[in-house]
Amino acid sequence: MIEFVLDGRSKGATYTQLVLQVKQALRVGLAQPGDQLPKVRDVAQTLAINPNTVLKAYRVLEIEGLAEGRPGVGTFLVGTLAGPSLANQAELREQLVAWLHKAQVAGLAPEDITALIDTTVRATLDSPAVKHIL
Amino acid sequence: MIWLTWRQHRKQALVTVIALAALAAVTVPTGVAMHRTFTDSGLAACLDKLGTSTLTSMDACVTLGQKFDNQYQGMTYVGILFVFLPLLVGMFFGAPLFAREFEHGTHRLIWTQGVTRLRWALVTFGLVGTFVTVLAVVYALGVSWWFAPLAAAGGGRLSYTAFDIQGIAPIGYSLFALALGIFAGTVCRKVLPAMGVTLAGYALVRILIETLARPRYLAPRTLSVPITSNQQFNTLSGDWIYSQGVINANGKLVVPNTTYTCGAPPGSAHASHGAASCGSNLVQQGLGPAPFKNWIQYQPADRFWAFQTIETVAFLALAALLLYLAVRRLRLIA
Amino acid sequence: MTGIALETGALGKRYGRTWALRGCTLHLPAGQIAGLVGPNGAGKSTLLHLAVGLLRPDEGKVRIFGQDPRTAVLTDIGFVAQETPLYRDFTATELITLGGKLNQRWDVELARSRLAQLGIPADRPVGKLSSGQRAQVALALALAKRPRLLLLDEPAAALDPLARREFLQTLMGAVGDTGATVLLSSHLMADLERVCDYLIVLQTGHVQLAGAVDDLLAEHRTLVGPRTASGALPGGAQVIRASHTDRQSTLLARIARPIENPAWAQHEVTLEDLVLAYLAAADTPTAPTCMGK
Repeated sequence: MIEFVLDGRSKGATYTQLVLQVKQALRVGLAQPGDQLPKVRDVAQTLAINPNTVLKAYRVLEIEGLAEGRPGVGTFLVGTLAGPSLANQAELREQLVAWLHKAQVAGLAPEDITALIDTTVRATLDSPAVKHIL
Repeated sequence: MIWLTWRQHRKQALVTVIALAALAAVTVPTGVAMHRTFTDSGLAACLDKLGTSTLTSMDACVTLGQKFDNQYQGMTYVGILFVFLPLLVGMFFGAPLFAREFEHGTHRLIWTQGVTRLRWALVTFGLVGTFVTVLAVVYALGVSWWFAPLAAAGGGRLSYTAFDIQGIAPIGYSLFALALGIFAGTVCRKVLPAMGVTLAGYALVRILIETLARPRYLAPRTLSVPITSNQQFNTLSGDWIYSQGVINANGKLVVPNTTYTCGAPPGSAHASHGAASCGSNLVQQGLGPAPFKNWIQYQPADRFWAFQTIETVAFLALAALLLYLAVRRLRLIA
Repeated sequence: MTGIALETGALGKRYGRTWALRGCTLHLPAGQIAGLVGPNGAGKSTLLHLAVGLLRPDEGKVRIFGQDPRTAVLTDIGFVAQETPLYRDFTATELITLGGKLNQRWDVELARSRLAQLGIPADRPVGKLSSGQRAQVALALALAKRPRLLLLDEPAAALDPLARREFLQTLMGAVGDTGATVLLSSHLMADLERVCDYLIVLQTGHVQLAGAVDDLLAEHRTLVGPRTASGALPGGAQVIRASHTDRQSTLLARIARPIENPAWAQHEVTLEDLVLAYLAAADTPTAPTCMGK
């Protein structure tokens, strides 16, 4: 079962953090369809956060088709994010490493590289068309 | 509610009962001894014979009474200590009763449960008040019995200390002290200041009532007797003597705080001699026309219960008033 | 659970000539966890005491689930007063017994099991427990009434960080169980950001700001742009707080719709920024009028 953590320094809303953690777990295969998500009350108690926040996160997951509420039982994962991307990841990683070497050769410091990636990610992925895969 | 009051005050109640038991351990033996001496010395019989009339022609009991007084003088002071017991009730039961709640903020715990603060206050006061009443009755009965010989041999039951620790008045004092402590607690909202206010307020009210109000409960009687009479004022009658002295023929008090006897002691063979010259020296001193009379202003001993009732009712009324004010103040507290 | 848990209308309370709270109009929807913020003496405790019926209003009204707290609904309110007062010579068991004697609805088992789970000794006088444990006992007592509304007056103020976290955990777990509405006063913004979905800002007896946290965050932005006179913003934006340098203005503004002027850089605000801006704004004469004033 997923154990949630909160990043106190993150500026993102709490419920977004929970959603992202579920997606991350699905992506790397730590969670699978059929798994039960922790009970709202338990998450609220463990993290000392508002139960409504947890409910909201679970609702977002339901809307995105990743989870399903079963009345009286709990919320279960139904969708998956791992399938298509896991296979591609090795290849993509190799390409990224090659690109990073190129950047180093071109004289970019690690800070420059991070800044370049950040701005590019924002410019490229922050459009409605691709937002849902985040 | 009852459980709460008992749980909060059980320790205090236990300590009080133990203290009273300790007090009884002292007073019962001394009381028995005093009563025995009172009877054995013939004082009791003498006083019976003497009766309670204001005038008497015998003084045989006076000596016996003085002897008794001398023997148990220390007990008179113990009696004075009893005067302060109701004050302790006010300071240690009354003052902390609500003030401790305010001081610790626990009134916010109790008043936000399912019981109104009025009901809470009345039940708390009702239980503690009942306990105090029982204590006061035990105290009043016990001390009345214990002090009776001293009162009889001394200034009577209407005299200051004796009146204050006998009869039913101590019940009034105790409940008054309790209500005063509670009221002070709702004003000060801290235990120690409330105790201080209780101490001062109790002393003030008692002193005012004793000195100003009590002598005026009923109009005093006066009596005047020719100096030549062989009768004297009975000092063991138990009357409460306000003032005495010698008055002249115009009724003017010319020699305060003294009474005269003329010639030979009453009952002797020469009793009638010298009557004519009696008071002649007073005329010479320019104190007015003869005949002079011994004069006394007093409350008769048989008014004891009337006085007790008036005093008790007065203090119970004060207690009720203070309790009412305390409950009113509760509404302002949060 | 729907409806309004706490409703006040032009509520006022004064001590002598000083108004501790005035013109306070609020609607706290049921099911929310509301944070009550403000400096000391702002009227937070007064508002809570009015809500729980400890005080009677000098003007206006207060309703809990539509009823006057001074008459009927005490059974529906769980209250934890400031400094969590308890009879210090009572054991936790005795305090639970006490609650049972004073309340018609009282869940002894709930209170006992909560304390047992937390490992709080039930047979020691609570005066000998740690302050964190005492706060937990006070919370357990308030929860044993199975209240629909929980009012907490700075319950965590005196606690160390660990005890504070544990307290909030218990509280959030309990809310998750029961769905109770919570109104919690606190100085600790970090705690409030974590748990609250509704916020009420009080200052000198007046409500400066009240609303759902998500709405408030969505409606407010920090705007950085060319130096501008306050109030000259496009799109009906209302400036809450402004600071200026020679060429630049930084504004915290309530915006009706997104500002599309590219001269202005927009940043999202945190709850703490928001609270501080409103508290600082209230100190200046041009303060926005508070609700219901």
